[in-house]
Amino acid sequence: MVSQGRIFALLLAAVTIVLVVVGTVWPSPSAVAYVGGESLRSSTSTPEAVVENLGNDIRDQAWEKAYSSFANKAEFTEPEFVHDLKGYSPGLLTYATLNSFEVLPIHASAKEADVLLKLHWSTIVGASVTTRRVHVVRNGDRWEPEWQIVKDPSVPPQIIPVNYLRWDVIYRGSEDDWGAQDVESPHVRIVDVHPVERAEGMMVLGELINEDVVPAYVSVTATLLSKHQSVIATEGSFDKISHLLLPKQVTPFLIRFPDVQLSDVESIRMTPLSALIAASADPVIEIENEQLHPSPDSSLTGQLANQSGQIVNVAHVLATFYDSAGQVVWVADKYLDHALLPQAPVPFEIHIPEDLSKKISSQRTVVATYSFGGYQ
Amino acid sequence: MQKVNSIFTSEQPIPISLVLMAVLVVHLPLLLMQLPLKSFDTNFHIFFASHYVHHWFNPWNTKWYAGFSQATYPPLPQQWIALASRILGLDMAYMAVQLAAMLLLVLGVYRFSLLWVSPRAASIAALASVFLGSESFLVYSAGQLGTTFAAPIYLNALPFLFEWVRHGKWRPFLKGSVLFTAAAAAHHATLLFGSFFFALPVLALALLDRNDGEQTSISAFLRRAITITVVVGAGIAIVLLPFWIALFQYPVTQTPIPHASRANYILSPQWGLNYFIIPYGALILAFPFIFLRGCTVVRLRPLLLGFWVAFLVGLGGTTPVGHILLGRAFEVLTMERFSYWATLLALPFIGLLAAELVERYRMWAVVGLTITAALSCALAVGWATFRPADGEDFKVDTVAAWLNRDSHDQYRYVTLGFGNKIARLAMMTDANSVDGEWNSGRMLPELTRYGAGALTSSKYFGKPGLDALRAMLTHADHYGLKWVFVRDHFYDPLLSFAGWRPVDTLEDNTITVWSKDGVPPATPLNAPQIPPRWQGLMWGILPFGSSVLAIFVVLIPNEKRYERRAQKVHAANNSRELERLVW
Repeated sequence: MVSQGRIFALLLAAVTIVLVVVGTVWPSPSAVAYVGGESLRSSTSTPEAVVENLGNDIRDQAWEKAYSSFANKAEFTEPEFVHDLKGYSPGLLTYATLNSFEVLPIHASAKEADVLLKLHWSTIVGASVTTRRVHVVRNGDRWEPEWQIVKDPSVPPQIIPVNYLRWDVIYRGSEDDWGAQDVESPHVRIVDVHPVERAEGMMVLGELINEDVVPAYVSVTATLLSKHQSVIATEGSFDKISHLLLPKQVTPFLIRFPDVQLSDVESIRMTPLSALIAASADPVIEIENEQLHPSPDSSLTGQLANQSGQIVNVAHVLATFYDSAGQVVWVADKYLDHALLPQAPVPFEIHIPEDLSKKISSQRTVVATYSFGGYQ
Repeated sequence: MQKVNSIFTSEQPIPISLVLMAVLVVHLPLLLMQLPLKSFDTNFHIFFASHYVHHWFNPWNTKWYAGFSQATYPPLPQQWIALASRILGLDMAYMAVQLAAMLLLVLGVYRFSLLWVSPRAASIAALASVFLGSESFLVYSAGQLGTTFAAPIYLNALPFLFEWVRHGKWRPFLKGSVLFTAAAAAHHATLLFGSFFFALPVLALALLDRNDGEQTSISAFLRRAITITVVVGAGIAIVLLPFWIALFQYPVTQTPIPHASRANYILSPQWGLNYFIIPYGALILAFPFIFLRGCTVVRLRPLLLGFWVAFLVGLGGTTPVGHILLGRAFEVLTMERFSYWATLLALPFIGLLAAELVERYRMWAVVGLTITAALSCALAVGWATFRPADGEDFKVDTVAAWLNRDSHDQYRYVTLGFGNKIARLAMMTDANSVDGEWNSGRMLPELTRYGAGALTSSKYFGKPGLDALRAMLTHADHYGLKWVFVRDHFYDPLLSFAGWRPVDTLEDNTITVWSKDGVPPATPLNAPQIPPRWQGLMWGILPFGSSVLAIFVVLIPNEKRYERRAQKVHAANNSRELERLVW
């Protein structure tokens, strides 16, 4: 009986060990999520594998491990690598986490290879994709990646004179909530509205103008009505609008209705909202070298130049696209993942759907900005 | 001193009164210091209890998720907290209920262990439960009151199950049925999985022992087992009827939320430390003994198998067992409770091992065992400080005061960067939130669709968390969501670009109040999940009533057969000969 028991004990122990080995060599998806896709099978035997390891390290924010894997680490320090990846000044990527990545081989020889590392970041305002070309070299029986540092442009020390308009609001008292104002709201007007149907659902797009002589906080809500005048859905513009409009400024807006079909909609009730707000014309962001590129890969490109002396941490570019008759046909936007340093232009690219690109003949671009601590 | 020595080194059981005193000595000071308040879920339980204080017969709570039903979570410990809070206040009432659970655990472990081992080994097992790492981990780090409250009741019910199926007497049947029902009223998962890990081994033991003393035929065994299963099943169905209705009408189909207890503890050693080393502590050293003795002694095999399966499932993603056995439930449940159950199932072995070590090495063994037990307990208690649920402690009083003044509470709010303080805030304010910590109770599509937990910790859930936050902010008007309290400036750019503006700062400028203009005041959601009045009455009467009934029923005197049998069985099975073979 005792020897049978010992055999049984050995059997249980063996099964336990086998189960642990199975769970470790072929981890379940939920277990993989906690090791960033890494398992005991990671290797340095191919260029793609080492770049995949690098992607895993970036996802795990294992900076020391990532840095130590570089063949050319003598050329830069670990903090320089992190700053290069996530921005030298606080921007969107600084606090972003890597959601996923792709490894795309470009070319390979016996001693070196080039691999594209496409990083899908999860930022506070949505997804952001950056692509880095990683050179991989063979060192003995293993491959090692090389990181090409891209340094931030340095601007010489200088004094920048600022001369901008500023509007302040005097509130009734400390208990007066922002927005609960008794004064007349700034005059704003919707100048164009178009419903469109896309694969991702119905959208309402258009433009709003501040016709007043004071700045306005604006937002737009659209309510879809059926043939029986019953409400189908109500949605707001959220971040697909520039909420701060200086006098005479125009902003595009786009409102999404992902679960609604245009054929079900009889009419749309637009509700613009405006309120007085303290504002300034600073920082001034210049849009340079704007160009519309036709299909294939139709897009709008350009550069944002921060004309002020302050860093703009996050810039949001909103573009309105018009047809030859001046009608709005599309609204698109793009957040810049790096901060705008003074006097240092940063390129942007806004993708345009291929089916719309032929209709577009002109565009208008506005920029909304955010600076950390700017409201205090 | 000599007397104390003799208690531990003699062959007599350690008096249970002494073990209960050990609970008071070890845990009462920690509970009086309110250490569990730092844990993950304690504030959640107190929040539920605070609702029962004001709305005992209405489980619909509007303070989270724009309204959710508390009938989605068995209410017993929280209702006891609500009742005790009339005298002690909510925080101390929680500590009192937790202490009661710990005292009950000692009795439960002793009674459960008596089924398997000698009274002396059972008493040592009971003493070991005081120092159990998994118990301290669940109490002081995880704050899982439901699990730690239900398990002792369940353990106390199991000997009655054994007595009933072996001898067919009505008293153990009645006591067992009522205690099982009360355990389910405390925590449904304990009953569901406890049936497999605890009850099946006990039934197997009854089958193995059927010819010992009073004979039990197979047909009688089956008849009794089926009878108690049906009666307890019916009792639980009635006592928790609103819970079952909520579960079947609105099953938990939301996208699973990641939990580190499902990690592979070898590939992610930091989680191995958290969910394996800390809960098991020095008990890991006893694994070889558990396996050897459990396999060698036939009547211990059911207990060993119960332990083994619970142990494997408790390893989370380290083995494929949890995924295979639990299916989708693996992505919903957290695994640390399985490790807790595994350690409870291991305690009879620990009692046996300790008794034999003491018999062989006398005071050396007592000293060694005391040190390892104390270290296991200390490590698990200290873990709450080494790895606190909230990285930073802060007050939410000013936030609550702000919400409660100037009609701010006519709108809903959400916090960002508040961690598990959202439960504390919800208790202090009259305003309602769209966020919350009870993921299985939430119904808002903005929250259920993305696979993230509380909005206040959105960034820690990566893309799913931020998607859920954006979805909720997009529909701010719909929910009357006007206020966002931000304690983490990571979220500022989104709020700014989405049209929110900072309007105030609190707590020395560490908390910023953001507001959105044009949001209409919040209106109650006319949700179909609102339990009707009759369910509210049931919810207020039956679960709590089951525990009161259990107290009265347990007071009915026992027959002495139980302990006599334990001693006899132990003498037969754990003979000197067997011990020699093992050593």
